[in-house]
Amino acid sequence: MDLVQLQRQFVDYRTSLYHEGFLDEQFTQLQELQDENNPDFVVEVVSLFFEDSERLLNELARALEQQSIDYKRIDAHVHQLKGSSSSIGAQRVQKVCIAFRNYCEEQNVEGCLKCLQQVWHEYSLVKTKLESLFQLEQQILTAGGSIPM
Amino acid sequence: MELMKSENIVQDRQPQPQEEEEIMQQEEEEEQRFHVLAVDDSVIDRKLLEKLLKASSYQVTCVESGEKALEYLGLLHHSSPASSSSQHHHQGHKVNLIMTDFSMPGTSGYDLLKRIKGSSWKDVPVVVMSSENVPSRISMCLEGGAEEFMLKPLQLSDLHKIQAHLLKSLPHS
Repeated sequence: MDLVQLQRQFVDYRTSLYHEGFLDEQFTQLQELQDENNPDFVVEVVSLFFEDSERLLNELARALEQQSIDYKRIDAHVHQLKGSSSSIGAQRVQKVCIAFRNYCEEQNVEGCLKCLQQVWHEYSLVKTKLESLFQLEQQILTAGGSIPM
Repeated sequence: MELMKSENIVQDRQPQPQEEEEIMQQEEEEEQRFHVLAVDDSVIDRKLLEKLLKASSYQVTCVESGEKALEYLGLLHHSSPASSSSQHHHQGHKVNLIMTDFSMPGTSGYDLLKRIKGSSWKDVPVVVMSSENVPSRISMCLEGGAEEFMLKPLQLSDLHKIQAHLLKSLPHS
């Protein structure tokens, strides 16, 4: 595939992620902050998000397995996940977190378990898609091109 | 007024015997580089805030908790320390603005705000940030002395509001 085709594929793919609600304008803000002094800024922030999210999701799974469920603790973790997903523009993850917090408030264990599954699912999806996006970026850079804004 | 390129390192200045004019000139140059203390327990938000502030040419120090912020400001173990020559200087740390998240474990953003406003740092503008738009929270912070309450996630355009507060806080302008 030539450079122009790669760039077009990248733009189309990125556009689709916005259209399908995986990303919102906050992700655009991240890209706008990236510059020559900090060319890996987006990848760095997103990598932090992946690490942090996996930690939180594991904590949530553990917390929901307990005999006596600590809803305050679960809410605190979901709040963190909601915040970080919002900060990078991972809109679908953020939306599930909102529902999750409502179930926490109701102390509804089934609702919480359902949301945990959903949030894992959405997280995995956005992770895969962002990794694909970064891979396309890398291919463009390797081919000597620049990333279309 | 020109804002110089930001640096991430805050240097501890050793007091040296100098002419009074030289000291004033040095302080004036330092004053022109705004230094923001950013407080947030989220590693992602710290990274984002740091970039936003640096992109706006501010010098930034990020800390991960209210306790760390109090420590930085010298407020952790003792009551208000004596003011030094300039109202924004203390222990070699100059701080022009404090930006803090509201919801933090331990010392919350609100707790931090109150401590700051009850100390020799009280004239430093404090901006509180939160991902939640709760009117009672907003008024509580504003009544507590916060200059501004901002909703996360922050964007570059939000930093423009900050600039006005910083310019206002300059002793000589």
